[in-house]
Amino acid sequence: MSERMRETEVVLIGIGAAGGIAAQVLTAAGIEVVALEAGPRLDPKPFLLDEVRNDVRSYMSRPKSTGELPSWRFDASEKAGASPYPLLMVNAVGGTSVHYDCWSFRFQPWNFRGRSASIERYGAGSIPAGSTIADWPLSYEELAPAYDAVEYAIGIAGAACNIDGVRGDEGNWFEAPRSRGFPMPPQRMTGWNEMIAGAARRLGWHPYQSPVALNTQPYNGNGVCTYCGFCASGTCPQNAKSSTNLTTIPIAEATGLLRIETGARVTRIEVGVDGRVTGVTYIQDGTERFQPAKVVLLGAFVYENARLLLPSKSRAYPDGLSNNHGQVGKHYMLHMTPHAYGLFPGRRLNRFNGAPGQVLSLDDWNADNFDHSGLGFIGGAMLSSMHELKPIQVTSLPLPPGVPRWGAGWKDWIAKNANSIGTVNAQMEVLAYEHNVLDLDPEKRDPYGEPVIRITHKLGENEQRGWAFMEARLQEWLREAGASEVWTRGRVHLDGRHAYGGTRMGNDPETSVVDKWGFSHEAPNLGVIGSSVYPTTGGCNPTLTLQALAWRTAEHLVADWKTRAG
Amino acid sequence: MAAMPESGLDPTQLALLDAITSRLVPSGSDGLGAHEAKVSRYIDLALTDDYRSLLPLYIEGLADLDAVAVARYERGFLELAPDEQDGLLAATEAGEEGLPLQTFFELVLRHTREGMFGDPVWGGNDAYTGWRLLSYPGPRYEWTAEEQQLDFAIEPRYGDRGER
Repeated sequence: MSERMRETEVVLIGIGAAGGIAAQVLTAAGIEVVALEAGPRLDPKPFLLDEVRNDVRSYMSRPKSTGELPSWRFDASEKAGASPYPLLMVNAVGGTSVHYDCWSFRFQPWNFRGRSASIERYGAGSIPAGSTIADWPLSYEELAPAYDAVEYAIGIAGAACNIDGVRGDEGNWFEAPRSRGFPMPPQRMTGWNEMIAGAARRLGWHPYQSPVALNTQPYNGNGVCTYCGFCASGTCPQNAKSSTNLTTIPIAEATGLLRIETGARVTRIEVGVDGRVTGVTYIQDGTERFQPAKVVLLGAFVYENARLLLPSKSRAYPDGLSNNHGQVGKHYMLHMTPHAYGLFPGRRLNRFNGAPGQVLSLDDWNADNFDHSGLGFIGGAMLSSMHELKPIQVTSLPLPPGVPRWGAGWKDWIAKNANSIGTVNAQMEVLAYEHNVLDLDPEKRDPYGEPVIRITHKLGENEQRGWAFMEARLQEWLREAGASEVWTRGRVHLDGRHAYGGTRMGNDPETSVVDKWGFSHEAPNLGVIGSSVYPTTGGCNPTLTLQALAWRTAEHLVADWKTRAG
Repeated sequence: MAAMPESGLDPTQLALLDAITSRLVPSGSDGLGAHEAKVSRYIDLALTDDYRSLLPLYIEGLADLDAVAVARYERGFLELAPDEQDGLLAATEAGEEGLPLQTFFELVLRHTREGMFGDPVWGGNDAYTGWRLLSYPGPRYEWTAEEQQLDFAIEPRYGDRGER
């Protein structure tokens, strides 16, 4: 028998990049929130300038890396094993926004209607067989106010180009209209970025120093980036990262309406006879507790959102919560991440210093900003060049053909060239397919006895052609910059840290789990926040868009409180 | 915290690991190799800590590799000439001695890079051997605009790990 807690208005499952945003909006409107967070409040101090601790051994994501990561298989006929691609989740107040690189891009308007726009421009045959790509149930214009609200709430540094349709000289030439500039100027330009920007311009592309959630001025009472270059997998020594634990969550807590329970692992979402959710069961300090609530907002990571819904079975939902149409776990996607490497002999590129937020990127090959006729694929990628290339990282990069992997030959090569390797990368869109799904692994269990998520994912030809195309653009870019030699990873690489789907958003309950506001088609007082609701991946980082959606979901809940809360 | 063993590997195993990693990053004329960086100490400490679960794999891998040396040359790995050691490691890398040893080789190579180029606090990169090899100037809390220019030569300053 679980211990029954006092009822609250909203229970938030996970207070990370998305939940931290929703908490601020809800508490500002006077709504009482209890956040159940499986992880701790992280003390920033242990996260030193230490590549072994932060990057290699992932101290921050340890609770997740020890036994809760999904298993992987390429085909339903296989037995699932360890994922060949990176997967990372963080259990902590602030979630993945604590460890991320802070890249904070809005999606392109095309991303919200990629299916219909592709059919209009290239015909119905441009949609690959078996793909379940769908338009979003909302447009860029509908999300724009929430993008703006989040950019100012957490603090984004960047240069605007397109304010209400009027283009300036700075920022992203392909930027969709925004109502005002960014709250802070962009990150400092560097020698490497100048060089690679010059090459892009010579190719006719439009590079720009990109928007990041990394303070270039004091903001929210937090510090300013000093370009140490230990963003990834670490907290910020200056508290300059706009992680939600440093920005929106303290504001929400100051209202007195947000209570955060750490070390609280939610195991089930409970349902009443009428099909409405009644609260959640969780385990804390070895005790099982039940937290009743009028509304449940599910804001864990993509894999964990599906992992909580599927086993939450009841009379109303025999196949898992909000799964009466069999859509939970469907339309799973992740990014492809082509990289290219170039050698600039004798040059000191000085890329081991500097923040990954000192990112230069371009949208010439993103979305449908280029003609896809005859290319055999739809979708696009943002191309980027960045800083932060630390010693273990640089010595672990793929090598050019002919260079040995170890021994005296390797040692001589790396000693000469470690500071002369330039890299550029892309985040390539992957479409949803019928066969790419998440479900519960029938065998592998986490240390608490619960099944982990099993990923079944295989790339389509659309994606393989897109990969080759983007890899060619990246190599072209480095050659134009003067690289004497250019090479790549040599095989397709996916990144499961940029994960999408499983609780898709849409207007049709037959093909989606939540509506355009992020609320379940089936259980009216259950909302889902995070990139699990994305119908498409987009060609850039997910965080800002999922934060804008969380803002919008919370605003909708405030406006529609009486209906939703019952 | 439970008491941890001081060493995961015994002295014979450690000597073998030192010999293997010293072929992966040889000392050469500059004396900046895995032996000087104490890479085997890094791995040994990790095997009593975060990589505890890999200790059996290491013990077995080291024994198997030595057995391959005996089978091929009728001498243990430590008694082989450097080019014989390299040949044996290359064969292992290529999978000629089976998948488990190939996997073990990749693991040692990965851990060698960590012990060579990671922060010395973890037991490797002794005397900043690895960082000196790469001309890496060390981590810093703050980098100036000048230090982020192309071709700017940054003077090394080691020891700034961030304890405050």
